[in-house]
Amino acid sequence: MSDTRPTTSDVTAAPDAHEVRGQRIVLEGVTKRYPGQETPAVDDVSLEIPAGEIVMFVGPSGCGKTTMLKMINRLIEPTSGRILIGDDEVTHRDPDELRRHVGYVIQGAGLFPHLTVAKNIALVPGLLGWDKERTAERVREMLDIVNLDPDEYADRYPRELSGGQQQRVGVARALAADPPVLLMDEPFGAVDPLTRQRLQDELLRLQEELRKTIVFVTHDFDEAVKLGDRIAILEVGSRVAQYDTPEAILAEPANDFVAGFIGHGAALKQLTLTRVRDVDLHEAAVAHVGDDPATAIAAAEALGREHVIVLDRADRPLRWLSLRELNRPGALSTVSRDDDLEAVTLGSTLNDALDSMLTSSHGVVVVTGRRGRYEGVVRIETVMGAMQALHTGAHASGRAVR
Amino acid sequence: MSLWEYVQDRWSLLSFQSYQHLSLVVQSLLIATVVALALACLAYRSQRVSELALSVSSVGLTLPSFALFGILIAFIPNGIVISVAALAFYGTLPILRNAVVGLSRVDPGLVESARGMGMSRTATLVRLEIPLAWPVIVTGVRISAQMLMGIAAIAAYASGPGLGSFIFSGLSRIGGANATNSAWAGTLAIVVLAIGLDLVLNLLGRLTTSRGIRV
Amino acid sequence: MSASTAATPTVREGLEEVAEERALLDADDQRGRARLITQFAACLGAFLVLIVYILVADLTSVESRLLSVETLLRLSWEHLLLSVAAAVVVVLVAVPLGVLLTRGPLRRFATPIIAVAGFGQAAPAIGLIVLAALYLGTGKGPFLLALAIYGILPVLANVVTGIHGVDPKVVEAARGMGMSAFGTLVRVEMPLATPVIMTGVRTALVLMTGTAALGGFVDAGGLGPLINTGIKLGLDSVLVVGAVAIAALALFIDGGARLIERAATPKGL
Repeated sequence: MSDTRPTTSDVTAAPDAHEVRGQRIVLEGVTKRYPGQETPAVDDVSLEIPAGEIVMFVGPSGCGKTTMLKMINRLIEPTSGRILIGDDEVTHRDPDELRRHVGYVIQGAGLFPHLTVAKNIALVPGLLGWDKERTAERVREMLDIVNLDPDEYADRYPRELSGGQQQRVGVARALAADPPVLLMDEPFGAVDPLTRQRLQDELLRLQEELRKTIVFVTHDFDEAVKLGDRIAILEVGSRVAQYDTPEAILAEPANDFVAGFIGHGAALKQLTLTRVRDVDLHEAAVAHVGDDPATAIAAAEALGREHVIVLDRADRPLRWLSLRELNRPGALSTVSRDDDLEAVTLGSTLNDALDSMLTSSHGVVVVTGRRGRYEGVVRIETVMGAMQALHTGAHASGRAVR
Repeated sequence: MSLWEYVQDRWSLLSFQSYQHLSLVVQSLLIATVVALALACLAYRSQRVSELALSVSSVGLTLPSFALFGILIAFIPNGIVISVAALAFYGTLPILRNAVVGLSRVDPGLVESARGMGMSRTATLVRLEIPLAWPVIVTGVRISAQMLMGIAAIAAYASGPGLGSFIFSGLSRIGGANATNSAWAGTLAIVVLAIGLDLVLNLLGRLTTSRGIRV
Repeated sequence: MSASTAATPTVREGLEEVAEERALLDADDQRGRARLITQFAACLGAFLVLIVYILVADLTSVESRLLSVETLLRLSWEHLLLSVAAAVVVVLVAVPLGVLLTRGPLRRFATPIIAVAGFGQAAPAIGLIVLAALYLGTGKGPFLLALAIYGILPVLANVVTGIHGVDPKVVEAARGMGMSAFGTLVRVEMPLATPVIMTGVRTALVLMTGTAALGGFVDAGGLGPLINTGIKLGLDSVLVVGAVAIAALALFIDGGARLIERAATPKGL
């Protein structure tokens, strides 16, 4: 059972051993026909979703992609066909029991407004009968995983959070009971583009640790390319037009429908395929809270920099400080977090990095790794170089195989 | 005799009848709340049944209370039973209306979220839908309480208990000593009770409403 | 927490619920119409049954002196006139007053007055009626005055809430186009607030019909005296005929008011 699996803290202890913890999902001849409708909403779909991968369902609205998703946790009952999670047929399980072992995230997060963040996350562990102590510990761990400080956020109510924070809690809640499978229904559709990009980065970072099987519905092809290990492009009736890796779909669209869906600028979209971790990062001048400002200034001058990135005790970036700001007495004794600090993660695309650079005033963007730790910076020259390489066709292998 | 002297003179009777009045209203209100919530939970999942419940509520509120008292008097001999039955009937209607509206207003996305997490129908109702509809339901209870305070005054005519007896005794002694004092005492005591009960219900409502959805 | 903050929301929220209930009920215009037809049919049916009962039942001499078809119709008509008269007074006072309270210098009185309306609704109608009779004597005049006082506050609250409910952006757009304050009120705010005001008018009518049933206590006529006499003399037939007739009349007036409400509501709302 999923709740006897090792917890994520065990995994972080040995960061390189990311075992696959998801389960495969198999759809066999799945059909959904609503009474009184001529054509089925989902028409005889067969698909295998490998364990531990992110598979994107993408297609025009009304193509039945959400219906397909909801049949996996039986919010919608299939008319015919079989759906397996692991080796179990979902229709043979009690629906409520099944859903407690399948994470589910919807647009706008669907947090219960009358419960605190902690109680929202504790819902499914509570349904599964976990004891209080284990649940409380798990809640803190989940908040930590989605980069929300448990002391600050556990007792807040959803309306006291921003849209992006709510969505993170939504993900934490879905993962609280450590389900092998996570279903996401346009989860980032209702947030602004910048927040969406951060949430996408975080999902990729989480997935590196967790290796769940994730089925993700979106109508945004760029999002599909960025997040998906595989993409299923669906036509009306959920007919699968093409099911392949993003690289293969971009390189060779199976038909006109797929080509139309990809749209123009396929070459530029390949910038989306290159990850920050695939390029060389630069070193910025770094200081920690509590350091001696004079030492920090000296270090920055040695590197020839005019700004210093200040990190907290857990190596998470707080804000940029100019040398002049550092000269003030006690400049490093307390440094507040800059909520607008532009940052990308190792899993972000160069496209995201370019966006962030254009909005920040530094010409560079901070890169964070696991648990929001500082890793380095990307410079605009790096992105320009990668773009040139793509245009000259030197970009042959795409991104590194994950 | 001034109103103040009158009130002091009849204090024990006035406080006893106030207690009776309040007790009649509160007990009827409890019955009404339980009945209305049960009916609303049965009704709210179906659009048609919800509409039926709302129609019943609005037609019921159209019926004049004095007419209902009249009909009940013809069939039930006991004045207390008549009073409780009539008050519970009227009390149910606003609560039923608000509960149906409140429950149907819960965001379907949240309900789907709950079902998607593996919460049963009952668990969804008890842990999600009722808490979210709660402020609206409490408003219904407060509207009911105010209304019942006034209707209970008429109950005294049907030999029920309560402050209505002060008003009717004022009426029966028209022109006599203390007639106006008696009517004023009864009327004002009802207003005071109604405001007091509303304050208590408002406070209870706030205490039982999650801080996450409090206005 | 002051008493006024406690009492105000009851009125306002109550009205919001009424608006939502309307939305739920009138979701389907056809069904709304079907409901109205049923309502009128039920009223007419009830009156027919009462008339047939009076004609065929084996009434004692006392009963038949109190009950005749002619009496029933005369008292019903009287009851209707009483209710409508009271409602007209209520609307004539409450609507202009409500409009005044949402404009200019009087605006700051709107909140305290709605708060007082909250208390006012707690006042028992029978208390007001008896007090009016004690000070001004029995009969129709004082009774009407008591009814009107009883009805003004809820309708006033309805009107103020309705006009406040008009989207300020629409008003701003109207002023921005160069409409005068008066023009905005008459051509934008009032039409948009019409549904709420009409609900107030209907509420007044129904409230007055029900409350007019208390006329038997102060010799004010209408159908109420049938109930009072029935109770006093232990004549269940008279009592029930009176009660059923009042209930049917209330439903009839409610139906009529709904018809007017539909007709008066601007299309597109």
